[in-house]
Amino acid sequence: MKLTELIEKLNLGVRSSKADLEREVTGGYASDLLSDVLANGKEGNIWVTLQVHHNIVAVASMKDLAGIILVNGREPEQETIEKAEAEKIVIMVTELPTFELVGRLYGLGVTGMK
Amino acid sequence: MNSDSRITKVQELVYEIRVRDVMKDDVVTVSPQTPMSKLQDILREKRISGAPVVDQDGLAGIISIDDFIRWLAEREEDCPISEKMTSDVQTLYADEPLIHAVNKFEQYGFGRFAVIDRQDKRLRGIITKGDIIEGLLKKLEIDYHKEETQNERIQRFFEDIYADRIALFFQYNVAGQDFKRAGESSSRLKATLGRLGLHPQVIRRVAIATYEAEMNLIIYADGGRIRVRVEPHQILVKVEDSGPGIPDIEKALQPGYSTAPDWVRELGFGAGMGLNNISNCADRMNLRSTVGKGTHLSIYISVENGAKSETN
Amino acid sequence: MKLKDIERILEAEVIVGKELLAKEVKMVCGCDLMSDVLSFAKSESLLLTGLTNPQVVRTAEMADLQAICFVRGKKPEQETIDMAEDKDIPLLVTPIPMFESCGRLYQAGLPGCSEYKK
Repeated sequence: MKLTELIEKLNLGVRSSKADLEREVTGGYASDLLSDVLANGKEGNIWVTLQVHHNIVAVASMKDLAGIILVNGREPEQETIEKAEAEKIVIMVTELPTFELVGRLYGLGVTGMK
Repeated sequence: MNSDSRITKVQELVYEIRVRDVMKDDVVTVSPQTPMSKLQDILREKRISGAPVVDQDGLAGIISIDDFIRWLAEREEDCPISEKMTSDVQTLYADEPLIHAVNKFEQYGFGRFAVIDRQDKRLRGIITKGDIIEGLLKKLEIDYHKEETQNERIQRFFEDIYADRIALFFQYNVAGQDFKRAGESSSRLKATLGRLGLHPQVIRRVAIATYEAEMNLIIYADGGRIRVRVEPHQILVKVEDSGPGIPDIEKALQPGYSTAPDWVRELGFGAGMGLNNISNCADRMNLRSTVGKGTHLSIYISVENGAKSETN
Repeated sequence: MKLKDIERILEAEVIVGKELLAKEVKMVCGCDLMSDVLSFAKSESLLLTGLTNPQVVRTAEMADLQAICFVRGKKPEQETIDMAEDKDIPLLVTPIPMFESCGRLYQAGLPGCSEYKK
């Protein structure tokens, strides 16, 4: 599944789009702890989180994640958006909480066991 | 609830509750071909005194420890369970009221009944007298609890006191730096309010707000104290510390703004939502702080509004 | 859905509350930030979380949550277990990560806290 398809099917808001939206999403990782994602996130994962701190961009970039979705109506800080555009990491937003969003992603075939 | 009304309640419940509500649905079954000699091990291992016998067509019979003892006493050869089981089985439907089960137990004197589905006649569970008693007690306990809260025990207590103003006062001292014990005061307060019989949603609001405030005392202020005033119409929680104080209160109230150190964030706190949460639980909140002197937070929760809905 | 169904779907181990598996779970909240749990998880939810410190149990106690399931095989520390036993809050551990756990339970029909209707 490509990022563009996810954005369209789940009606996600895009906050930093200077990135490759045609990129293929290989799976998902959901966590609000940066250290957890650093240790366990996999390349190509879409990352679902409540964290809006600019360090999320560094983590996503280091682990070569496909993108970040902020849940529960959280908005990224200005600094986070700037870093994301510089690092070419796409940041998306949704009003849904983690469970509801992941449930829908899972229904579209994005799983979390790879 | 007095004893007479309790008996009436049980009478109502045996008509109201269905067999499926109290039966055990994870039933241990045996096959008709299982040898009698194996039965003892199965019953002992699963700690049961009998089991339904099921073949591919559904319920074929029922076998109990009594059948096993009889077989042992007669010193017969080993044989399949099908030869010793009761095959003319009395069953109950899952959707029958409990009173039918009670009557059947009395009528037949059996220890258990298999429960089947009214439509497809397949085995759904098994019911013993013990299950009925357990089910009734559980239901009574739940109803009793609900009734207690509905009666608002504390309101009756307040009505018995003649005064122009009545309040109960509790104080909790919170030690700083002790992250693992953080929340103990809130926990004690929550239990206390529960005993007073306040509405569960009011208690939940007070508990969440106090817990967030207690976490703040521990993370930022090296402890402090929580003073609670319970009045018939509202609960006031005052949280005070002599910590470093908040330089910019407006900023501190913004969702997501936080000065918490990383170790706190990795423990799941300090994401800048605490004061927000407190304000969502409160009808009114007042935050005063002087840098270098400390912080005073007052949280007002109305008993009437609090009972109306969950905070979220 | 009962806790014992959750145990099966998430291939979980029950650490506290083996006698409480008949408890009903109405909805799920998957979250690692306790303030967020306190603000949006409703009573009678199951909490899925990657954190295992005692404050997770405190949070469940304060918000009247039904049970906690730790994800990605993280076993809770002893203080966490003791507190859960004291407060009668069931604790489960699943080897499955948060994302997959949410996906499986959602597929099994459980709603999230924002979707649950009484």
